Parts: sequence; structure tokens; C-alpha cells
Amino acid sequence: MPGKTPAERLQFEKIERAVMTVFEAAGFQHIAPDILQPADIFLERSGEDIRARTYVFNDPGGNEMCLRPDLTVPACRYHLSHALQADEETLYCYCGPAFRFPNETASPGEFGQAGIEWFGGTDRQAADARVLKLTLGALEAAGVTRPRVTLGDLGLFHALLADTAMPERWRKRLTRHFWRPRAFRDLLADYSAARARKQTSISAHVDAVAGKSLAEAVAALDGIVPEGGRNVEEIAERLVEKAADRDERQIAAADVQRIDSYLAIAGDPLSALTSFDGLGGGPQFNSAAQAFARRLEEMEELGLNPRRFQFEATFGRSLEYYTGFVFQIEAGEAQVAGGGRYDNLMSDIGAPVPVAAVGCGIHVNRVLSAIGVRP
Amino acid sequence: MSALVLAIPSKGRLMEQAATCLESCGFSITRSGTDRHYRGSLGGLAGVDIAFLSAAEIANALKEGTVDLGITGEDLLRETIAPDDPSTEVFSRLGFGPANVVVAVPEGWLDVATMADLDDVSEGFYARHGRRFRIATKYTNLTRRFFAEKGVAGYRIVQSLGATEGAPAAGTAEAIVDITTTGSTLAANRLKILDDGLILKSEAVLAGRKDLIRDARIAKLLERLPAG
Repeated sequence: MPGKTPAERLQFEKIERAVMTVFEAAGFQHIAPDILQPADIFLERSGEDIRARTYVFNDPGGNEMCLRPDLTVPACRYHLSHALQADEETLYCYCGPAFRFPNETASPGEFGQAGIEWFGGTDRQAADARVLKLTLGALEAAGVTRPRVTLGDLGLFHALLADTAMPERWRKRLTRHFWRPRAFRDLLADYSAARARKQTSISAHVDAVAGKSLAEAVAALDGIVPEGGRNVEEIAERLVEKAADRDERQIAAADVQRIDSYLAIAGDPLSALTSFDGLGGGPQFNSAAQAFARRLEEMEELGLNPRRFQFEATFGRSLEYYTGFVFQIEAGEAQVAGGGRYDNLMSDIGAPVPVAAVGCGIHVNRVLSAIGVRP
Repeated sequence: MSALVLAIPSKGRLMEQAATCLESCGFSITRSGTDRHYRGSLGGLAGVDIAFLSAAEIANALKEGTVDLGITGEDLLRETIAPDDPSTEVFSRLGFGPANVVVAVPEGWLDVATMADLDDVSEGFYARHGRRFRIATKYTNLTRRFFAEKGVAGYRIVQSLGATEGAPAAGTAEAIVDITTTGSTLAANRLKILDDGLILKSEAVLAGRKDLIRDARIAKLLERLPAG
């Protein structure tokens, strides 16, 4: 049904007001980022789900623009253009429409999103816990009962890989594929001792540069026509890397086993903590596990009961910019809120210094369904 | 019972082959009515009208339900209607019009053999060149589906309206997704197919509304068409 009737509009605004009152009372400044955004950042930084569902078009000047599919990136851009220093601690909240192509789950193309973003907070675990607390508080104020909370922590996963002996480029690739379980599994199998080397149509070219330096490889490739915007140097560089990959010590079976065991961890966060101890992880993993434990303490400090939450090691969101703590909240049939830490996003979109960042988004239309009002 | 509408390609090689196929099965195609260019009937099977549409339009017409049945390339069908779409079914593979939809990159990319390589190259591309890795294609949906399946994400699609194979040399895209039969056009443009870059092994198919499977006229048609 197009548009909202006066009664529907009032219902919608009532939810928005309830949520924003909680955020504003907690000291978050209420801003209104632009609806119309440059498309590039979204297309670069978002996962496939959002990428394929963003309304993109050209303005008469040929610039690629989009209707914001989410408010986090617009809030980051707002901060970069308003804050005197990018890493100055700033707390924002917002509410307004976001837009995505409708999909099978019958989400509408235009929906309401309310949320907070906390930039430059130096006590990360405390900020993580507080964002979760505020999100739950805002949902409660909106009338949501019996929310179900799922937690994840990409910091643990990154630390586990950092402790595992392998070339940095393998680590990067594995990290990138965390979001795609099948690709991740294939890659891990490739890098472990368990599988014989595959022959491909370029094996001969890799053979040809084996033992050569980059300069020698470039010279050997003299005369090829790279086309497609790539140059001979970068082709030579990847060939040399591929040749080097063959000589790398493959990931030990025990390490693969540890990664598998970690990814299988699911349950209440305190039992998960016990499982982390049993993994025999290295120093970085143990320090990430300590940070995880401290975050749970902070939650308890704020009156939350983490025992009632569910931890899943594989839990990540389809937005690929998260770097640490992640969460989602379901009520009834729907996911009504989600959020997490994204410490790299600000640098990626142009901040001159690293900016710690954590936030949440509440899906207003789904909150309405969850409390039994037709959105 | 109202007549079923069977869409067949209105021009080109696919039209000739579709006509030959139907005629060799004992059906005849008669152009009729006032708009003789667009409508006809199928001799030998009562209650089936023919609509002459461009091959690309047939999938759309099936999707929108303006025709009941259609003969068209599977590539065009799958670009418009996803394989898991419950409303449409491929009743028969007709054995002509073979063509593969493939991912191809410049031959000079000696370091790229697989989709995993393409993923690697595309991920580093923005940092290196300040723009996204571009795939030229007219098969936007097939490309998205296949790349997602393979876990490749760092690309963007450039809509191509023709001569896709020339895009890398012209500098308008890095790689392409296109159709090939013998591979000679790709080779002439110094492009190579990735080892695991076969998206779809396409041929001409008879497709239509799923619920028609119980229609006696379809049974009669399928009885005489080549099995498949």
C-alpha cells in the first residue's frame, strides 16, 4: 500500500520518538545525514546483499549517486565533514528512511532506520556493551518484548588467524572470505597440507618464474599485452607470489583443526569463554578472549544478563565492514536491530587518522510488525 | 479452452532453427491474421497460436505471462528468470543453438586462471588503480549470481549493449561475461576463458508456465519434439 495513512504515520512516529528519546537522553546528538549519497562508498564497502540492492543512478553531471541503503556510512561522512578532528569522541543518533530493492523476504523498498554511532571512544569493550544496552533499551521503549540477542566477535577470528603461521597474503585472503563459508573452507583446504596442489591453465607460467626475482620475472614477461587496465609489473608480481606460495610451509593440520573448532563454537557467551580457553590459542587470541570477557563484565555492570544471549563464532553480518564485536536482535519472526564495531571504515572513506567506531541500527518497520502493528 | 500462445524467435538463425525443428516434428508454421508479421498458428496442433517475438523478448513475455510457451536460448531465459523460479519450467532442450556463457579475461593475464584469481585481482584493484574492477556484460543477473556463488565481490558491472568482447581492448572494462560458441571471437580479441569460468552451457529450449505440464496440447508437443 503506497504511503502511510494519518494513523499509520502516527504509529511510525511514535516508535521513532520512543527510540530517539532513549538515545538523546544518553547524550547522543540527533543529526540528519543526507538521503542522497555518492554511490561509490556504498558499492566499495558493502557486501553483496547491499550492493545488489542499492538504488543507484547518475545525476546530469554523470556522478553516480544512490539513495542511502543504510545510515552508518552517511553518518560517517557527516562526521568527517563536521568534526574538527576525526578521532574526537562524538556520539550521534539519527532516524529516517533508508532504501533497498525489495527481496524475497518481502522487505519494502523504503523503510525506517533509527540508530546510533559512537566515534572515537577509547574504551572499546565499555562502548560495545553500552551500545548493546542502549539498543535493547530503545527497543523496550518501543514496546518490543522478549528480544533474542546473538553475539559475535570478529576480533577473536582475526586474532586466531594472526597467531597461525602463514604468509600475510594468505591471512588476508582467508579474512576476506570469512563471510562466505564455502569459499573460506576451499581456501583453507588449499593452504593446508591436506590437499595436493591443483594444476591450472597457468601452471606453466608459474613454473617459468619459479626462483626468479620480480625484476627478472618482469623481464621474462616482456612482450605480453596485458590490456584490461593492468600492467606487466602487477602480473609478474602475482606470478612470483604464486611461485612463492608453492614453497611456503602449508598451514599445519593442528592449526586447521583449531580454526575449525573455533568456528564450531556456539552457545551462551560464558560457556563460549570456556571453550576459548580449551582451544590452545596463541597470545593474540588469548588477549582477544580477555577483551571478550571484559565486554561481558561491562554488560553485567550495565544490568544485562549475557547468559541469556547466544554467541556464535560464525556470526557476522552481511555488511562487511565490521571488525570486532557484532550483534543482532530478533523479536518474533524478524531481525529488528543489529550493529557492531567497525574500526576501519572511517580510514577507508578518508579519515586521516584511525577512528574507533561502534553503532547500531534499528529497523523501524520490523519493530512495528514485532509489536503487532501493521507497518 | 482458449488458445495457448507459443512464442518463437522472429528473426535470425534461431528463428530458422526453431522453424526447422517444429517442421521436422510434423508441425507447420502459418503466418496469419491482420498483423501477419507477429502472429500465426501451429498447423498440426489445434489450439496453439504463434507469436513472433525477438529472442530476447521471449523470456520477458514468459515472465510477464503474455505468452504461455516460448522457444528461446537458455542464456536469455536464465538472465530473465532465475532457475529456482517456481512459475516457469524448461519442458524440453531442443539441441540447437548451442552457446556457452563464460567469464573471459585478457590473454596477457598470465597470472589469472580461476575465479579465485579474478577475486584476488579485483580486490586489490581499487587500491592499485583507484577505480573498481569492471566486468562488461549484457548478462547482469547471470553474472551477479555466478560471482556470488564463487565468492567474488570486488567488481562492478558495466552494461554492454553489443561487441562486449571488445571492451577490455577498448579500455571500458577489465574482463567480460559473454556468450561463445567456438571461442574464435574471444581468441580474435585476445581473450581467454577462465578454467572454472563456464557459467551456463546454453542451447535452445522450450519453456513455459509450469502448470501447463498437465495440458494435453503440451503433452502432444513434447511427444514429438526431440527428447531432452
